[in-house]
Amino acid sequence: MMELPPTRAGHVGRALSASAILLFLAMPIVIILVTSFGADGIGTFPPKEYSTRWYEQMAAPGGNWATSIALSSLVAALTTVFSLILGVTAATALARGRLPLHAAVYGLVLAPMLIPQVVIALGLFLFFEPAGMLGSPLAIALGHTVLAAPIAILIMISTLKGIDERLEDAAASMGAGRMTIARRITFPLATPGLIAAAVFSFITSFDEFFIAQFLSTPDTRTLPVLVFNALQFDVDPTVTAVSAVLIALAILALALVALVRKLGGHRTGRSALPVEPLT
Amino acid sequence: MRGHRSRTALINAVPVTVFLIVLFIYPIIGVLSLSLKGDNGAFTLHWYTDALSGANLSVLISTLRISAETAVLSLLVGFVLAHAIARMRPVFAALAMLIVVVPHFISALVRTYGWIIMLGEHGLINTLLTSAHAPGAPYSLLYNETGVVIGTTSVMLPYTVLILQGVMRGVDSRLLAAAAGFGASRWTIFTRIYLPLVAPGIGTAGLLSFILCLGYYITPALMGGDQQTVVAALIDQQVMKQDQWNSAAAFGVILLLLTFAGLGVLGLARLRRKKAHARRSSS
Repeated sequence: MMELPPTRAGHVGRALSASAILLFLAMPIVIILVTSFGADGIGTFPPKEYSTRWYEQMAAPGGNWATSIALSSLVAALTTVFSLILGVTAATALARGRLPLHAAVYGLVLAPMLIPQVVIALGLFLFFEPAGMLGSPLAIALGHTVLAAPIAILIMISTLKGIDERLEDAAASMGAGRMTIARRITFPLATPGLIAAAVFSFITSFDEFFIAQFLSTPDTRTLPVLVFNALQFDVDPTVTAVSAVLIALAILALALVALVRKLGGHRTGRSALPVEPLT
Repeated sequence: MRGHRSRTALINAVPVTVFLIVLFIYPIIGVLSLSLKGDNGAFTLHWYTDALSGANLSVLISTLRISAETAVLSLLVGFVLAHAIARMRPVFAALAMLIVVVPHFISALVRTYGWIIMLGEHGLINTLLTSAHAPGAPYSLLYNETGVVIGTTSVMLPYTVLILQGVMRGVDSRLLAAAAGFGASRWTIFTRIYLPLVAPGIGTAGLLSFILCLGYYITPALMGGDQQTVVAALIDQQVMKQDQWNSAAAFGVILLLLTFAGLGVLGLARLRRKKAHARRSSS
């Protein structure tokens, strides 16, 4: 970047400090992946003996972990459906039409990303408690949608903005109806964005802790709530295997999104983190 | 075609607006009203005076302190990293960004657990330091503020690196070359030209990680000790264990106000920059 002749000391210093920081960032994740196959269960690194017993325990049918994985999957699936509905409609309104009060709606959509999640969680607790809906998968999914929908909406806005509107106008001028245009032109072009929105909504819900914690009951705990309790109170080595699975899931999800983007030929150039509106 | 556009837009904006008003705005108003209600339902500021005194006040102060420490550390580390990435070859830069951004999509609980394994008394760091005969090793890096700040910083780092990278990419390298041409030393160029140019990004990144820290309690709860109880953890305890909803609500509103204050500063700074920019380009 800087057009100054680089000094060797500066070069070496920068390379070393950057590598150290990156190593520091990657290590916790690597350690979990490796120790999850350790036989002793107290997190010795590197493990002296390897085994898959923690994975077997995690998947044991009827156990705490299997139950909460099923609950988390259900909640995440519901959240994905809700977020996609909101994402497609809201993005159409914000990216395409001339929406009155555009700034207000956009601000409302971004707000859940900046408000402390614990406050949103407390509000939802006070909202669902009188209705007797604590522990209901529907309530948790609705709560998760408050956090996931803004992400889905931002992804869909950038997807729709990347589609050349003249393609739709051209189809219309040749007599295609609105449904035909949506089905034959807009939808195929928006598919990579839709998949990305779905994947990020699912992951957001599957990993979400605050709302799930406040809306959970002792019988209905999502996976992150169970992980938190396992880490805070009773250290159960199974949690290492669960963590490794969560890491694998996140990496798979990101790889899927990258693959779909590549196949769809989309280079939207927007960053994956929702910091853009702030900079 | 264009005629019905704004009507279609209006119809399409309805679901998200209704959804967020019912499940986001209304619940937060519920928190606000509960925080102002006494046991008999009458208006009171009791919960706020309670939240701002004694042990509760010290929890609030440690929340602010941990958030500030995290903001400073993630700025420093983020700056070093972003600056190095900006000068790397594209392949390495992409790889480095991958290592920074991918963890953001991995559950923070899981990453915190990784830190717990790594920073423990017999963890990797202490094992390495002890075998290297570092003075005073093993260090206590867990269940104290050091651990909390390390863990929280790693959670905030993707934000600071991305924001700083954005401003660093925008620096016009001809300015630096010109200064060098006039004989300015590296240090002068860095402090007088480079830093002022990236200062807006530093401000944004620091404030943003401070704001995001305020309501975050996964790491403090798992990697901290009693001294590291933060407001968000207190809200959790008061709701889940002590049934003190009013007090929790008051703490929630305090977090909300602090967040708004931070966002307000961000907005003001942006406005001032825009005005200064307009003045410069008009004259």
